Amino acid sequence: MVNFLIVVFIITLIYLAKVEMIKTYFSLMALQGIILFGLAYFELKELDVLHLVFILLETLVFKTLFVPYFLQRITKTHVHRHNNKPMKGYYSVLITGFIIIGCFMISYLIHDELKADADKQVKYFTAAISSIMVGLFIAISNRELVTHLISYLVIENGIFLLSIALGSEMPMFVNSAILLDIFTSVLIMGVFFNRMKDYFPNADTQHLSQLKD
Amino acid sequence: MIYIFFIITVVLSVVAYFVRNRNISHSLVFLFVIAMIALGLYLTGVAGQTLNEYFFSDRLGLIFYIILIIVSLFSAIHYVKFVSNRNVKTNDVAMHNAGTIFFTGAIVGVLFTSHFGILWAFMEATTLGASILIYHNRNQEALEATWKYLYVCSIGIALAFAGVLFLGFAAQQVGHVNFSFAAIKAEAAGYNTIWLKACFLLILTGFSVKMGLVPLFNVDIDAKDASPSQVGAGLSSVLMNAGFVAIYRFYEAFSSTSILPWMNKLLLITGLLSLFFAAVYLLRVKNVKRMFAYSSMEHASLVIIAFSCGGIGYFAAVLHLVMHSLVKSSLFFQVSQMHRIFSSKLDDNIGSYLRVNPLGGIVMLLGFLSIIAMPPSGMLISELYLFQALMAHNYWWIAIIVLLLVLIIIYGLAVKMLGIIFLKKSNARINMEGATPYESVLQLALIVLVFYIGLFRPSIVVESIQLAIQSLPA
Repeated sequence: MVNFLIVVFIITLIYLAKVEMIKTYFSLMALQGIILFGLAYFELKELDVLHLVFILLETLVFKTLFVPYFLQRITKTHVHRHNNKPMKGYYSVLITGFIIIGCFMISYLIHDELKADADKQVKYFTAAISSIMVGLFIAISNRELVTHLISYLVIENGIFLLSIALGSEMPMFVNSAILLDIFTSVLIMGVFFNRMKDYFPNADTQHLSQLKD
Repeated sequence: MIYIFFIITVVLSVVAYFVRNRNISHSLVFLFVIAMIALGLYLTGVAGQTLNEYFFSDRLGLIFYIILIIVSLFSAIHYVKFVSNRNVKTNDVAMHNAGTIFFTGAIVGVLFTSHFGILWAFMEATTLGASILIYHNRNQEALEATWKYLYVCSIGIALAFAGVLFLGFAAQQVGHVNFSFAAIKAEAAGYNTIWLKACFLLILTGFSVKMGLVPLFNVDIDAKDASPSQVGAGLSSVLMNAGFVAIYRFYEAFSSTSILPWMNKLLLITGLLSLFFAAVYLLRVKNVKRMFAYSSMEHASLVIIAFSCGGIGYFAAVLHLVMHSLVKSSLFFQVSQMHRIFSSKLDDNIGSYLRVNPLGGIVMLLGFLSIIAMPPSGMLISELYLFQALMAHNYWWIAIIVLLLVLIIIYGLAVKMLGIIFLKKSNARINMEGATPYESVLQLALIVLVFYIGLFRPSIVVESIQLAIQSLPA
């Protein structure tokens, strides 16, 4: 089951690269949230109940429900329903494919550096590093502000996968801080995104050029 | 005690957000500074000791904490004047004061935590606090700067967290993961070096935005430009110090491992690249605030280069940061006054400042002499130590490159600053309404302090820094 979920997660990364409708991003974010919920449920069973419930709530309520809903709300009056991409979908998919293959090779190379259950950690590593790299790729290959928000969330999902691979070693306080961090970052970015629309109707990064030397 | 301080921080921050009376709102910030002084007295009493599982009264933290108190107090005083001179809405004042308390509280956490996970959490909190402060002016520039800062910082902090997780993987190989500094430092020699290198690389990348270094320096420059001067002062001094402390903690923990020379090389390359970019941009910049922001980048580069040399370089790095914090915050406060008089941030529109506002002009002149490390500025001493450290390693070529880049920067700064201070500009429109010379007295005091440190090198400063860095390899 874990293998299946990791493969589906990687497929969502490829799909993210060729998305053309803005709202598809939100569906994919919700799907990634469900996958992370499943992975957290299967992998972190040995955690104490409070900790486990906290992480499951984080993935299910926050990543699957709140964030996609919130993003949909703030982009309701968005002028561009389509993603105004400078790069064609075909090339994006090709590059994403190379990123994932590259990440798999790196993960395999560090196989010996991992602890006893290295086989499992290699899978998580592939998905996690791919997610971080694809997130960065989405950030640099898109001009829409909303896709920048999405890229941040994809990177955060990759880091969540890394922390699952590490197991139950992070203290509760840090987990709470991570949740609070994503929550406030998304909320604040959402607020600023709304303000942006007052100045720039199509919320494109090309307009962010007032500040220069 | 430290937990009580954090509770006070949260309570005061929330109250400041809801209070709609300006005087009460400002008073809350001063109350917070008093709480900081009380905490400082307590921490000084237990210097070097562990407070609890997650915090300790670290000596390096204490040095930068004193700077934090000074800059916070001066910022609070400055903001009262700033609000009275401008048509700032009461809601914005409340938001700014709440953000200031939150931001400063988060930096206190960074300085005194003894746990890598919590260090990361507090660094993230500084990003959120800083975003609120940068957006103060509520205009298009502020919005752009805030969006960029928040977005790039969030990505940087996320990468830094990946670095913390890599450290976890390294620790997992040899036993149970404990993210406390002491545990990691004790066991780091047995960790796999690939994980440690990956961790340090990500940490340096992620926190580079806080220190204003390559690769994520751009948003930091924009933030200092678009925010009010007292916020720029904070970002250029106390936040830079916090970024340094965060990198220092990882460096110190890994300093007993075989990756020490690799870390030094990485820091040296980062410092040189940052210095190069600072030199290039300083030659073409026209905006005074951006000029000081790039100057901060130059000094952050010098700090990192000195630190990468080890030995006397460690001492030089900390001393340089201390003095830079005082001078740069003073200059940023003065820029606010200058902006009030000339209604412009562009050097073409600002001239004869020494004649127009004599005391302010003296602050600008002495501040300028300080940041270019002219005698009797204390920064000359730390820069001499930097070159001494480079020579000790036989880094002759690097010393020459650093010297050349510093000379280019001095030229770039001199052309603009001397023009601002002495030259009469036809574009300058002067409005002395609201200009109050007494404001400059506080700024002058900060610069005089730096001159005093440079001339007399008080033993308390020297010994405090030596004690703070004693755990680093000789």
